[in-house]
Amino acid sequence: MIDRNQENLKELFEKFLSAEESTKAVEDVQKAEQILRENPTPEPDDMLIANIKAEIAMRLPLRRADVFRRMAYKVATVAAAIIIVAAISVSLLEEKDTGPEKLVYASIIPRAIWESDNIATDDAELAVLTVELEQIEAEVSALQLGENGTNGDRAVEELQMELIEINSAFWKG
Amino acid sequence: MAKSDDLAQIIIGCKNGDAGCFSQVVDMYASRCYGYFYRLTGNKDVSDELLSALFVKLVEKIGSYRGGSFESWLFRIASNIFHDYLRGRQRRTKLLDERKKQLESEIVEPKYTDSERIDKLQLQLRRLDENTRELIMLRFYSQLSFKEIAKMRAEPIGTTLSKLHRGLKRLRELMEGY
Repeated sequence: MIDRNQENLKELFEKFLSAEESTKAVEDVQKAEQILRENPTPEPDDMLIANIKAEIAMRLPLRRADVFRRMAYKVATVAAAIIIVAAISVSLLEEKDTGPEKLVYASIIPRAIWESDNIATDDAELAVLTVELEQIEAEVSALQLGENGTNGDRAVEELQMELIEINSAFWKG
Repeated sequence: MAKSDDLAQIIIGCKNGDAGCFSQVVDMYASRCYGYFYRLTGNKDVSDELLSALFVKLVEKIGSYRGGSFESWLFRIASNIFHDYLRGRQRRTKLLDERKKQLESEIVEPKYTDSERIDKLQLQLRRLDENTRELIMLRFYSQLSFKEIAKMRAEPIGTTLSKLHRGLKRLRELMEGY
C-alpha cells in the first residue's frame, strides 16, 4: 500500500495544473480534510461490535464446512476425470490388442492350420479335403439323378453322416 | 493502525478461520467503515446494518483476497454494500410507485431520532452530488492514496484528482459559509 501521508500532493497536482494552481489545490484539499477531521462521526456502539464478533464466530464453522465441501467437490471432479480418461485409454489399448484375435476367430480356416508353421502338410491336408468334397459332391449328384440304382433316401442319409464326420475331423485339425 | 507485517499475519489468521484474527480486523476497521457508512447514509441504524453486512461479507470473501492493499479491498466491498443498499431502496420505492426524487430526498434526508444530532458537516454533505460525496468519504475514511482510489474506481488519476479537488473545495466553501 502506498502510504497516503507520503503522497506528494503538490507533485501530483502539478502533472495537471500549473505550479500556482497546484499550490492552491493542495491547500483546498488539506483544509477540507481538516474540516472532516474536526467533525467526527459517532463511533459504532460496543454492543454492535460485540454482536458483529459473535456473528462472525457463529459463521466460521459454516465457512469451514463450505470450504471443505468445495474442496471435496473439486477432488471428486478431478478423480472422476482421471477415471474416465483411464477407462478410455484402457479400452483403446484393449481394442488394439484384440484385433488379431478377432481375425483368428473370424477365419473359416481351422485354428490348428492357422497356427501351424508346416505349410507343406497343411496344403496337403487341404488338397485331400478338397478331393473328398468333390467326390461327395459327385456322389450326391449321382444319387439325385438315381444313376447308381440304390435306395436314394438311405444313401443320402449315409452321405450326410459321412459329411458330418469329415467336417468334425477337419475342424479338430 | 497495525504495521503491514502484523496486518499480513492477521489476514493469514482470518484465512485460516481464526475468530481472534477476525476480531482484530473488526477492532481495526469498524470505526472507519462506520464513519464511511454514516456520512453516506446519514442514518445510525442503517450504518449499523451496513457495518454488520460488511463484516459478514468479509468472512465469506476473505479467501478471495490475493494480497495488495487490504484497505482498498475492504472499502471496495464497503462501496458495493452501500450500492446494494441504494438499489434495494430504489426497488422498494419503485414498488411503492414513488418518484425517484422522493427516494433521493429520503436517502439524503434521513429521519433522525431525538438522540441524534445532525451536525453541520452532514447537512452540507447533502448538498454535494452522490458520486462526489462517496469519493470524498472514500478518500477520507479508507486513507487510500489518489493512485489507489483511481485504480479502485477504474478511472484515470487525473479524473479522480479533479473530482475530489472540486468536491473538497465546494465542501470547504459550504462549511465556511460562502
